[in-house]
Amino acid sequence: MPAALRIAGKDLRLRIRDRSAFILGILAPLVLSYIFFLVFGPATTGSGLGLEFGVIDEDRSEISMSFTSVLESADAEDVIELTVFDERAAADGALEEGDVDAFFSIPQGLEQAVFSNQSATIDVIGDVDAPNSTQIAAAFAERFSSGIAASQLAVVTTASVEGAQATPDFIQSLSQDPSVAGMNYVLTDQTASTKQLDAPTFFAAGMAVFFLFFTVQFGVTGLLEEDRDGTLARLMAAPIPRASVVGGKAIVSFLLGVISMGVLAVATSLLMNASWGAPLGVALLVISGVLAAVGIMGLVASVAKTPEGAGNLGSIIAVILGMLGGTFFPVGAGGGLLASLTYLTPHAWFMRGLADLSSGAPWTDALPATGAIMVFAVVTSLLAVVLLRRRLQT
Amino acid sequence: MKALSIGWVNLKRMIRERSNIFFVFIFPIALVLLIGIQFGSGFAPGIGVHRGDDSPLSDQVVAALEADDSVLVSQFVEREDLVTAVERGTVQAGVLLPDGMQTAAEGGEAVEIGLISRPDGTGTQLQSVIGSAVSQVMTPVGAAQFAAAETDATFSESLGVAAELSEHVESIDVSVTTVGQATFPTSLGQFDLGASSQLVLFVFLTALAGSSALILTRQLGISRRMLSTPTPIRSIIVGESLGRFGTALVQGLYIMVLTLIIFQVNWGDPIGAILILILLAAVGAGAGMLMGATFRNDQQASGIAVMVALGLAALGGAMFPLDLFSPTMQQIAHITPHAWALDGYAELVRQGGNTLDVLPELGVLAAYAAVLLSLAAWRLRVAITEP
Repeated sequence: MPAALRIAGKDLRLRIRDRSAFILGILAPLVLSYIFFLVFGPATTGSGLGLEFGVIDEDRSEISMSFTSVLESADAEDVIELTVFDERAAADGALEEGDVDAFFSIPQGLEQAVFSNQSATIDVIGDVDAPNSTQIAAAFAERFSSGIAASQLAVVTTASVEGAQATPDFIQSLSQDPSVAGMNYVLTDQTASTKQLDAPTFFAAGMAVFFLFFTVQFGVTGLLEEDRDGTLARLMAAPIPRASVVGGKAIVSFLLGVISMGVLAVATSLLMNASWGAPLGVALLVISGVLAAVGIMGLVASVAKTPEGAGNLGSIIAVILGMLGGTFFPVGAGGGLLASLTYLTPHAWFMRGLADLSSGAPWTDALPATGAIMVFAVVTSLLAVVLLRRRLQT
Repeated sequence: MKALSIGWVNLKRMIRERSNIFFVFIFPIALVLLIGIQFGSGFAPGIGVHRGDDSPLSDQVVAALEADDSVLVSQFVEREDLVTAVERGTVQAGVLLPDGMQTAAEGGEAVEIGLISRPDGTGTQLQSVIGSAVSQVMTPVGAAQFAAAETDATFSESLGVAAELSEHVESIDVSVTTVGQATFPTSLGQFDLGASSQLVLFVFLTALAGSSALILTRQLGISRRMLSTPTPIRSIIVGESLGRFGTALVQGLYIMVLTLIIFQVNWGDPIGAILILILLAAVGAGAGMLMGATFRNDQQASGIAVMVALGLAALGGAMFPLDLFSPTMQQIAHITPHAWALDGYAELVRQGGNTLDVLPELGVLAAYAAVLLSLAAWRLRVAITEP
């Protein structure tokens, strides 16, 4: 195998002197992932939906205060961020400035209305640009209102069954507090773990694997360059096995890919705080990902006629697979056809494997994704080897 | 005249290259489609539901959840699938309706509803949405349980009474109003935002990628041979600029017309829209020429071109709406010509403005074009006349 290594060594030196491999393999993904992180990061990080609500209580009764205390406890648990306003103008101003997404306005006479079975209204005023936050604010108010309604309904239902009037005396005569009627269900939290990449890791990994397919091209299309420049015929005439020539090019591709991914993983961890996960698992994903890229680009080289043709076809395939594989933005999150299509790309499996490793999972969690990527690698490599051998024989 | 033919040859070279057919004509439209499908309908958090049984009560809870427009509800047959979906972020929260919830409710017991959420917050916030839907269903049930415990009546008798009375109990209404002017009005089509962003991104990308064609022209000695003919340098430089400009313009017009026909994208005032495109293509031509005159290696140049074009597009708001940038990032964004072009399209499409309304944006783009084209002309003159 020394012939293959010697060919690989020569090509590697060539690629290092010509800086294009460095530009596509390291510089471009690093710069782009940092810019993407800068631009999209704020929108994708932060705790959940970032609900900022305000409340203005003009009733200041027991009932209205129980509602504000529900909101305050949600604020204390960091579910929402609550601002209490003293007057309507302040709340309107905060909404206009975008300081709150929505605010609750509790009118005077709310409690009075509830006790006398009159209609009363809690107003939810929301920012037109925050429709989901406004709806969620409404859900807070509705949930509170149905709690009140449950006690009211419990009293009138009991009174009606007994054939009595729902007077304060009647309420006193009941053995239970009517408010228990609203407590006939419990929501129990079952916190799940997170298997999704945070913003810096998503952009770092996405760009790294997207450009990987361009980087490995430098190795395998080298074969076509040798053909164009007439050096391939000379290599064929030399007393070395044909497999060494193809092998040498594949080794260059593999090394370029592994170096690029390795440097990017370390650099983005240091510069952007990306967390790639358990090193052994990441190594498995990177190696299988590079093998898949070498296989796919090798297949491209085996069907292309010229190095330019291989470069162009390779770029088209790399861009299609990268976009569909969700390296720029997540694809197919809502299910449907796109969700199935995306897993026809090694990129999607690479990202999923990394996501499975996030939040400190052991390296073995990367095995299913590694296996899927290896299927791409094995199938395309075998096809490429068969086609390239046939081509070198003629 | 000679300048025109140099420009024409450049355009022909671009179109004859088969891979350009993909990148210039197919890919942008495919991307508009993909982005329209993925993001055009807006983002609504998803809630997954796993039902332990098919009781009427669980039917009602699912119906109440589905009635809420702020969330997308999907049902999961297997509990494990729902947990995985929450973990992967396919849905933001999961609801587990227990087996036998009807029996538990009839027996006066509290129904235990499981809530699967991730530690990062969205799921916890959706609790209020889930709680609201559940409580709508459970309010008459609770009243019936209460009445059944207080009186001799059975649960189902009391539930009948409660269901009837619930119509007459005046509870607290929640009225929702929204204020302000919508950043993305509802009249904005599913593909509108993506179309103008992709137009700006690709016109600039194609123009920058054209730099490698210029490098090849120099490498292969074509520019030297042109110089040896009685062609003034000025014509060669103008011709090469026209080539870059023509390619970018052809692609831009193509994207505009095709998205108009296929996706009925609204481009606003046609004169304003085309003027922005023309100036943007000129800016791109200037940048592409400058790169083509500066770099010696076409592979390096195309790598840098992709990086610069995608980076500027992201910074300039062609990948993510400018309106959602932080104030500092908005200022940084306006260093790029992309942000100005996108501001112009937003003015035309969303505010229904005309050419006069986009004069400031046109002015800035013209300034970019003038500076870049002059710089490029100077560098190209140096590059092709150097011995």
